[in-house]
Amino acid sequence: MKKYWVVFRIALSERLVYRADFFISTFLRFIPIITTILLWKAIFDGSGKAQVGGLAYSQMVSYYLLVMVVRAFGSMPRLATGISTDIRDGELRKYLLQPIDYLTYLVTLRIAHKLVYIVMAAGPYSIVFWLCRDYMPGWPSGVNAVLSVVTLVLALCLGFGINALIGLMGFWFLEVASFIHVFMTAQYFLSGHMFPLGLLPDGVQQWVLLLPFAYETYYPTMIMLQRLETGEALRVIAVQFVWVCVLFVAGRVAWNRGLRRYAAFGG
Amino acid sequence: MRAEYGKILVRFFKNSLIREMTFRGHFIVNVASEIGWVAMMLIFIKVIFANTPDVRGWTESQYLFLMGTHMLVTSIFEAFFFGNCWRISELVRTGHLDFVLVRPANTQFLLSLERINYPALANVPVGLGLCGYSLLEIGQAVSAGQVSLFALLIVASVAILYALLFTFAIMSVWLIRQTGVDHLWFYAVSLARYPAEIYRHFAGGTLWFVLVFVFPVLMVSNLPANVMVRAFEPTMVAYILVVAVVLVYLSTRVCHIALSWYRSASS
Repeated sequence: MKKYWVVFRIALSERLVYRADFFISTFLRFIPIITTILLWKAIFDGSGKAQVGGLAYSQMVSYYLLVMVVRAFGSMPRLATGISTDIRDGELRKYLLQPIDYLTYLVTLRIAHKLVYIVMAAGPYSIVFWLCRDYMPGWPSGVNAVLSVVTLVLALCLGFGINALIGLMGFWFLEVASFIHVFMTAQYFLSGHMFPLGLLPDGVQQWVLLLPFAYETYYPTMIMLQRLETGEALRVIAVQFVWVCVLFVAGRVAWNRGLRRYAAFGG
Repeated sequence: MRAEYGKILVRFFKNSLIREMTFRGHFIVNVASEIGWVAMMLIFIKVIFANTPDVRGWTESQYLFLMGTHMLVTSIFEAFFFGNCWRISELVRTGHLDFVLVRPANTQFLLSLERINYPALANVPVGLGLCGYSLLEIGQAVSAGQVSLFALLIVASVAILYALLFTFAIMSVWLIRQTGVDHLWFYAVSLARYPAEIYRHFAGGTLWFVLVFVFPVLMVSNLPANVMVRAFEPTMVAYILVVAVVLVYLSTRVCHIALSWYRSASS
């Protein structure tokens, strides 16, 4: 456990190097959201309805803002690509030779990165949320706050599980970079990042909601938006937990089987 | 002199094609991922127009045409210029720009067109298909004059994007670091994707004004589409053509000044 603590501390300090860039780029991330919100404003004005897909305009705005928070936990940039590159280039040997478990190492690294990101992004996010306070659902109740924290942590685990599994495909296919690109595009849509999944026609919606992606972004966001009853929120958290376990086992199986066929390419 | 530039261009096209042929699988996956993306956008459009008859005056068919136009503009830009602009800061940082400077040809020409990204062109037929389908749905005849103007405006749109990104990229001579061309491109694309009218209802039209007259990305895609399926606005058309010429000219001036500042890297 001690060695992972060292990894964790190194990753923390490494992340704190580029502070100014970070501050600016966090604000820039909200630009596409402004566009999306203006599009929804146009849609609400055009429809003349108070609610679209069960959400009022202010809730639609806060949906996209809260998606940013959920993604701050759940998104795993370059995780899948990193794993598959390590496999393809033979870099994996470096980790196999050390008394360290590769996947645990990656989890530690990610948690450190996420912690730094979340702490540092808290400032810019608070400013944006304060500017948009008229649209926000208001302070959560104690129960909702606890549920939100739990669902966010599970979203992080789920994001790691899904992306790591995709990266581990590198054991079987040498070139997964393009596949990862396709997968990311699909994930953007299926997770509810593009628009709330409640807007999908019922026939499609029931299938999309069965996939783990919905539990990565859509459901956690709906919990934070205070749109789910406590019972329903608990069901979501339970399903998230089951998916995390399934992915954990699948990841371990893929890792063990993959290692058996690992050829350690490269010099 | 002119014929020689023609020859160089043909050589660039051939070299890029040879490079591309070594990764043939990449092309197929790229097409697949683009088709996936279009499918998602089409679902989004269906969702939008299931709730409203129009988005700030754009009907569903007109909106489809805008989407097709946007794909045409962005894929042409990505095929010819994106990779080249993106590479510039890397050339500056490593000092490899020296090898471009010593060649007896216009440096901006060499920097702008050396590598063609053929897979990006896969979107051209997809974009044209969307435009064609939309025109069939609208069921209104278009004149040859409209089509030629449309083609001219597509060229102007690409030229504007090129001038903005190239100018931004060449500034790396002063900064000697990554200028974030990819981020700028991402924001430009996400802003230009939607009907320009949605920005008029935000901050008293300030954002609209900025995106039309200061950082003119909003008329890209929008204006060519307007000419074909909505209204022909002669002043806007004239404005965009002038902007394209002026910005490209300015990019050559900035390039000239930047290169005179260039002091190579390392030994």
